[in-house]
Amino acid sequence: MSQPKPTPPLLLGAVALGAAGVLGTYFAAGPERFWANWVLWFVLMFTLGLGSLFIVALEHLVSAKWSVPVRRIPERLATLLLPAIPVGLIALGAVPVLYPGARPEAAHHPILAGKAFWLSLPFFTVRTVAAFVLCVIALAILVGGSLKQDVSRDPAFNFRARKFAPAFMAIFALVITLVAFDWISGLTPEWYSDIFGVYIFAGAFLSGLAATAISLLYLQGEGRLEGVRQDHLYNLGAFLFAFTVFWSYIGFAQYMLMWYANMPDEVIYYKVRLTGAWRAITFALAALHFILPFFALVTRDAKRDPKRLRRVALLMLGAHVLDIYWLIFPALGGSPRFAWPELSFALFFLGGILLWIRGAMQKGEDMPVGDPFLREGLEFRL
Amino acid sequence: MRTDTSVHAVPIPEGLLEPALTVGKVTPGSLDDQVLAFPETKPPKQWYLALAVTLSALGVGVACIGYTFTTGIGAWGNSSPVFWAFDIINFVFWVGIGHAGTLISAILFLFRKRWRNAIARFAEAMTIFAVMCAVIFPLIHVGRPWLAYWLFPYPNERALWTNFRSPLLWDVFAVNTYFSVSLMFWYLGLIPDIASMRDRTTSKLRKTIYTVLALGWRGAASHWQHYEKAYLLLAGLATGLVLSVHSVVSFDFATSVVPGWHMTIFPPYFVAGAIFAGFSMVVIVLVVVRETMQLKNLITMRHLDVMNKVILAMSCIMAYSYMMEGFTAWYSMNEYLHHGFMNIITGTYGWAGWVTISCNIFIPQLLWFKKCRSSYFWMILVAIGVTIGMWFERFVIIVISLHQDYLPSAWRIYKPTMIDFGILLGTFGLFFTLVLIFARVLPVIATTEVKAILPDAQPSHGGSHE
Amino acid sequence: MSKKSYAVLGLFETPDALMHAIPKLRAAKLGTVEAYTPYPIHGIDEALGLRRSPLGGMVLVMGVLGALTAFGFQYWISAIDYPIITGGKSAASWEAFIPIMFEVTVLFATFTAGLGMLLLLNRLPFFGHPVLSSKAMKGITRDRYALALEAESEAFDSAAAAQALEAAGAADIEVLPAPDRSPFLTSDYILRTLGGIFVACLVAGLGIYSLIKWFPLLAPMKYMQDQPRLNAQKASTFFKDGHGMQPPVPGTVARGYLPTATGTQEAAATLVNPLPRNKDVFAQGRKVYTSRCEVCHGALANGAGSLTAAYGAKPANLQAQQFRDYPDGKIYWAVVNGKNAMPGHAAYLTEPQRWAVVHYVRALQRAQNATDEDLKVVAP
Repeated sequence: MSQPKPTPPLLLGAVALGAAGVLGTYFAAGPERFWANWVLWFVLMFTLGLGSLFIVALEHLVSAKWSVPVRRIPERLATLLLPAIPVGLIALGAVPVLYPGARPEAAHHPILAGKAFWLSLPFFTVRTVAAFVLCVIALAILVGGSLKQDVSRDPAFNFRARKFAPAFMAIFALVITLVAFDWISGLTPEWYSDIFGVYIFAGAFLSGLAATAISLLYLQGEGRLEGVRQDHLYNLGAFLFAFTVFWSYIGFAQYMLMWYANMPDEVIYYKVRLTGAWRAITFALAALHFILPFFALVTRDAKRDPKRLRRVALLMLGAHVLDIYWLIFPALGGSPRFAWPELSFALFFLGGILLWIRGAMQKGEDMPVGDPFLREGLEFRL
Repeated sequence: MRTDTSVHAVPIPEGLLEPALTVGKVTPGSLDDQVLAFPETKPPKQWYLALAVTLSALGVGVACIGYTFTTGIGAWGNSSPVFWAFDIINFVFWVGIGHAGTLISAILFLFRKRWRNAIARFAEAMTIFAVMCAVIFPLIHVGRPWLAYWLFPYPNERALWTNFRSPLLWDVFAVNTYFSVSLMFWYLGLIPDIASMRDRTTSKLRKTIYTVLALGWRGAASHWQHYEKAYLLLAGLATGLVLSVHSVVSFDFATSVVPGWHMTIFPPYFVAGAIFAGFSMVVIVLVVVRETMQLKNLITMRHLDVMNKVILAMSCIMAYSYMMEGFTAWYSMNEYLHHGFMNIITGTYGWAGWVTISCNIFIPQLLWFKKCRSSYFWMILVAIGVTIGMWFERFVIIVISLHQDYLPSAWRIYKPTMIDFGILLGTFGLFFTLVLIFARVLPVIATTEVKAILPDAQPSHGGSHE
Repeated sequence: MSKKSYAVLGLFETPDALMHAIPKLRAAKLGTVEAYTPYPIHGIDEALGLRRSPLGGMVLVMGVLGALTAFGFQYWISAIDYPIITGGKSAASWEAFIPIMFEVTVLFATFTAGLGMLLLLNRLPFFGHPVLSSKAMKGITRDRYALALEAESEAFDSAAAAQALEAAGAADIEVLPAPDRSPFLTSDYILRTLGGIFVACLVAGLGIYSLIKWFPLLAPMKYMQDQPRLNAQKASTFFKDGHGMQPPVPGTVARGYLPTATGTQEAAATLVNPLPRNKDVFAQGRKVYTSRCEVCHGALANGAGSLTAAYGAKPANLQAQQFRDYPDGKIYWAVVNGKNAMPGHAAYLTEPQRWAVVHYVRALQRAQNATDEDLKVVAP
């Protein structure tokens, strides 16, 4: 179909430069800063991969037809879970540094003592590894099976995927809740919010959708994915729109309830984020993650316009990065930090992710040609 | 030009083919003759019998409400610290039942799930009736219901305004908006069907009524264009609305500091629970309608199968929420939360907690089996179980959380009175009375929408527009 | 105009036939081509060359307007016109306004979508359209697909239009007359409409007026207002002695009302009034006397109070020489402990109040028995 283009040296250079900065961070800016950035990018990679896999599984779960022609893209994006595993295993090094529950003092803390075993490094590691194993299994069944179908054209895969999809949803709920509670709210273990898993899910799904839209439009720019029309774009745009609203709904509900009840153990979370320089970032997040994309996508035309969709999807990926940054960094205390360490991490990981996705985009056919519903999906119109 | 898809064509195996939306030969004409004939024919004896039963239930409710009016709400079991009990349980329960209708008519419309067309009308009607049942409760709970209009912010001689920081006022806005929007949505859908009835009826009285109600609808293409756009927009707006209404209802509880009420997961969890309970009610009613009105060719086993799957999915979401509640009760290391949660599974009302968990989580798992999804016995069993379970869920949330609050000296066991039960029975009577009447006077199936998805209803592709 | 035909209508059996006929008829340019169908047909908008529905824009604008209205309304009421602090939140806390903002946005938007579509864009209700009274109408709302060529000008040629329709494959061709008169904008219609609106306004106004007058006065349930209770000076069957007001249980001491003169009256004779004789003290004493003593002892302390007759008792005439000779302490003792039928007032009066009333009684006695010497003191 298409010949793999040589890797642009600029990208490689950026990654190399970033790598130098990443190492430099550890020694020059201190391990705390290093690990905070590392966790940030691990969470971003992992949620992007999970969100993409969720899109794939959702299609099988509800037997959607329209998304069959574009399914290969989230399938390829979901492979990002594979490089996320070593990144995550390294990130376990952050646990004794950043996570108060895993420090020895936790045993004497009035609140943390009772759940110290849950927050301790060994159990933290067990949960993380279990999540990785579950993800790899899901990846093998949903993505691996789909890639094999390109050649075999065997509809048995569709039966298997539909059987597996409900189980995947259970796995997904578990894993995304673990990401939320362990990796993010574990930074402030006295704080709790039972909706937090859903909040992270909304962000993850949204990042998966945005990445899918961008990759789709990029591939179309290369002349691939012929047959995917505005109608498919519209549906992607509609999902983006709907889940921006959903993310805001969950985010606002959590904020409003804590603000209203004003219980000290909860409201401290927002107190930190609504004072000093964080206040501006909080409002920027609301604007970039909700208000801008909402009005950018509200009309029917906007959802079908490739140019507009690409811009909004990029904005949403950026907003997702900001969201996770906003969740992780205030826990370190002090004002927002953004300087060369953060920039090098961004260069290193963004470059790495792009390299991986470039490679992944060559995997298999551009569309799941073995799927019996492909034709119906291509014929889809609004 | 499109890619030549024939290259990739892989035949769809039989197991993946979706069964047709209708059984047997259904044409637009036969559809009209089947569905629109009900209002023109005399109802059977069983209908009158059923109506007598529901009207008696309604009568009991009216009597109990009358007794409440003349006696005061001391006639109920509510007493410190359980100031909210049956009244709010029933309110939340009925608003929840209504949510399924909006989900079917709006959200599934946006997802282009065409199977919704045959059941949307009935579900929407149930939404309206359920909201009517729901609004009764806050009105009678204010104690002096003839002053209930004080709930609205209107300029008045007392120079007072309502408190916009109160979630109870948000409820007033949310429920009223929900009712108005549902009614409009329902009526818009009815207009073309009423026009069909207008043009087929021979009775002069009916013709006059239908003429007025159809507003002179004539099916012009230029009208359909705006109509479809309006329907799409309404569906989108109603989707947001349905999320917001039960979220606002959940705010009544979650904005407080009562352990067991103050949960951040409440808004989405209430919405999921509402859809869960509503779908069960829709299944119960549809099974009866399908059997008694001979609509098996339009409301097929496929419809019931899909709806049972939605119930199953919602049950799993509920399970997630329950687990998160339990997990948070432990994870927070907050003794009040912990005590509240233990009350649900081991306290005086522990039985209610277990009824909730069994009916909402365990019993619906039966629907994993295709056999259960296609058997009346099992699906009705699950649906009734869910209805009971969801009622008890609100009982658990409201009564268990309240009866033991922060102050142990104020703890008290709550006991409902016969009046409480009578009013609950009365709302069931009202609901089913309205359902029965609706089934005989208006088209129970959105014929226009079903016509549009019949085979050959749309011009074949490659027509003039491509 | 009334002799002219308005449109020519023909029926088709299938949507495909309808769609194929549309371009042919549009090409003929005999009049506006309009389709009448039982349900919306995909792709017919483009085929007929209909402009896009402006409804989306209308709804967006009205939705935004709804959000602003709701925010402004809540802000003005909560922060400006009636600022009360509830829950410790600031009067202008926007977070609490969001739910209602959302609801009102949806309300505005849906009503714009629904009513805007019906009333503005589709101009319904409209009962006088010629198609409604055509023979074809029965089929159109059932299972037939109609195409109409509608007159654009006086030059409309119905015969040519009928021919064109037939050529395009239509059956049951019908020439529709223009309605005898437009159902709108005749003077009769306008008069009736205006009259109707006037009557409606009148009825609504009167109704609302009477409702507002009548509703707040409604009280079907009066148990909370009219509950049985004991009035202090009234008889009551509830207690054995038949009195509504009961003396405190013997030995009761209210906080701040310590009984001081607990011995005999004679023993209290030596007590000295600790209060100075000044305006404030006399005012205080007078207040206590009028509320506690006057009903029995009379305004002039001559034993002729208003209750004397009712009880048949004989309260002491404090102007009698016997009482004028009393030292302050003995009067004080009587106030605290009561005497004969008079109940003790220890539970009702504070220490300063008791002594103040003693001063006041002294003043009353002196006023009733004033001498010329007293006048000299008053007028220096």
